[in-house]
Amino acid sequence: MISKKRVFAVGAIALAAVLTVSGCTSRTASSGDSTSSAAAGDGKVTVAFVPKLQGIPYFEAMNAGGKKAAEELGITWLYQGPTTADAAAQADIVRSYIQQNVSALIVAPNDPDSMAPLLKEAADKGIKVLTADTDAPDSVREVFVNQASVEGIGEALTDQLMTAMGGSGDYAIVSCGETAANLNAWIEVQKAYTASKYPNAKLTTIVYAGEDQAAATSMATDLMNANPNLKGLVGECTSSAPGVAQAVKDAGKIGQVFTDGLGTPQSMAPYLKDGSSSASILWDVQNLGYLAAWTGQQLAEGKTLAATNDVNDDLKGIAYDSASKVLLLGDPLVITKDNVDTFDY
Amino acid sequence: MTIDERTRPAPASPPRGSGSATAKRILPLPVTGQEFVLIGVIVVLWVLLGIFTPAFLTANSIQPLLVSVAPIALIGVGMTFIIITAGIDVSVGGAIMLCAVVVAKTMVSVDIPLIGAVALAVALGLVLGLVNGVLIAYGRVAAIIITFGTANLFQFFALRVFGSSTVNGIPSTLEVFGRGEAGRTLGVPNSFAIMIVIAAVAWWYLRHAAGGRHLFAIGGNTNAARLVGIKVQPRVMLAYGLTGALVGLGACFILASGTATLDQSVGAGKELQVIAAVVIGGTSILGGRGSVIGTVLGAILVQTVTSGVTQLGWPSQLANLFVGIFIIIAVGTDLLRERARRKA
Repeated sequence: MISKKRVFAVGAIALAAVLTVSGCTSRTASSGDSTSSAAAGDGKVTVAFVPKLQGIPYFEAMNAGGKKAAEELGITWLYQGPTTADAAAQADIVRSYIQQNVSALIVAPNDPDSMAPLLKEAADKGIKVLTADTDAPDSVREVFVNQASVEGIGEALTDQLMTAMGGSGDYAIVSCGETAANLNAWIEVQKAYTASKYPNAKLTTIVYAGEDQAAATSMATDLMNANPNLKGLVGECTSSAPGVAQAVKDAGKIGQVFTDGLGTPQSMAPYLKDGSSSASILWDVQNLGYLAAWTGQQLAEGKTLAATNDVNDDLKGIAYDSASKVLLLGDPLVITKDNVDTFDY
Repeated sequence: MTIDERTRPAPASPPRGSGSATAKRILPLPVTGQEFVLIGVIVVLWVLLGIFTPAFLTANSIQPLLVSVAPIALIGVGMTFIIITAGIDVSVGGAIMLCAVVVAKTMVSVDIPLIGAVALAVALGLVLGLVNGVLIAYGRVAAIIITFGTANLFQFFALRVFGSSTVNGIPSTLEVFGRGEAGRTLGVPNSFAIMIVIAAVAWWYLRHAAGGRHLFAIGGNTNAARLVGIKVQPRVMLAYGLTGALVGLGACFILASGTATLDQSVGAGKELQVIAAVVIGGTSILGGRGSVIGTVLGAILVQTVTSGVTQLGWPSQLANLFVGIFIIIAVGTDLLRERARRKA
């Protein structure tokens, strides 16, 4: 009896540990809203996009842009992603698209390194391979459709916050995943750019809240308590941008502490309107989806990209760097209380 | 008649009035040694943080801390009941997610009053908890397996309700449980006060009500408990149902302390935070021993460490290190104590 109970307890702890480590991976990918499962066969170019995860507004907006492109350009657009940002589940979806023999495959890899061999497998089968949103630099991808340059994002985040703070004072960053390469790259730019352009301002602290709104809010509250001189907060990802604004609002410090961040328009709207957030930096996510679909079609039809490309009325003069094979959507989008209602995601 | 004679106290035993004296001897102290240690650790940490940070010991810092503690400690009360019966519930994260998204969506689409939102959340949570309870008590499958399964089911349903987008523009119906000015009465966060009241009732029930003592008996030795006539299955089912109802209320607290947008990360990892609070609080993972006072203290300790690390300006990951060490110390001392008792 004793040993049985002890075995159970040890098992319970071990399983709990497994849950912690692999909590995300246990959920499997669910089927997406593929616009058409008839991949090849009707002669149309088929462009498939595999997001990091499906069901968040960001990638759903990209999907909306891709669908719009499909209608206007006469291609078939497929979209499916894992329900959690899990590399293994994402790989399964990529494999299924390779089997369907799509014309072009666009991936926003969760783990660029483990995705690389799969992308090679696809390219060997004659599928045109692209990345969008997140690059897999050491892979065979032919083009990376980049939403914004690292410098563009980092500088816009800093400029908007400094405008609100009057160009001086201490500020802190509430980031998300500690190992998120894109967030860390932006933070490096913010550090350097603040030091060079705003000598009276100082980035004092960087904390990591994971993808957890509540944790971001309570960490922002702690930062304000710990640094009475704190004048600014940056929410570095879509969960911490509303989180830091909520913390300022709860503490009754609107107008004393200023925030900005990377947030989707709908989630930031209440905070932009009450002044707890000064601006949200993003890019036009629908246009990113549109551009990715267009690029997939160009490659599938054997065309090459020019140094600047006119895609449609919205997307003109899109720059392509043939050395790094990066197509750049453009300058980041600054969302404020004045334009926030024009976005429906 | 024979049974009656066996269970009836010996004729020489004291009359009813002094029977409670016997009961007092059997009952553990109202506050156990581990709880005093926890109180000591928390006091020391608060004093140190008060010295080394400019504002830890101010209302502006302590109030939000207590708001963060409230849902974890509240659900921890239910989890304490479950772990005392030698069970576990790893589905609370998924249940929080489902309750939160259903209530948030309802509040966005209909103008539901506060009481209605809370009732909806508690009712849904109770149903989810009873699903676990029925499967575990009557299906007789290990709790960790069942709740691991239902955790995924709850997440599935919650993701269906989310429907591939966040819930935006959540009204401030629940702000009485929140971090802001509306969430406090006489300076005390309402959510924390409610949690304390519920924890106090639970403490009394576990200590003095027959049903509460039965939970300890079940966790100590299920077969013996059954043989002395304790209705094991309804009791176990009730522990999971209670946890579910508290998950519902806790989900309201979590919504209130969140932002106007709800995304699918809500509830993620909360089951482990709750279990950590219970275990650090001195409840034995083997069952048969534990107290809700310890659980509340455990939740306060964990949040103190998290807030403290941020306020000291230390790297965020140190919070994980300290919480991990606390869990290992707590479980370690429990197992050592158990071993010593078996030898004695």
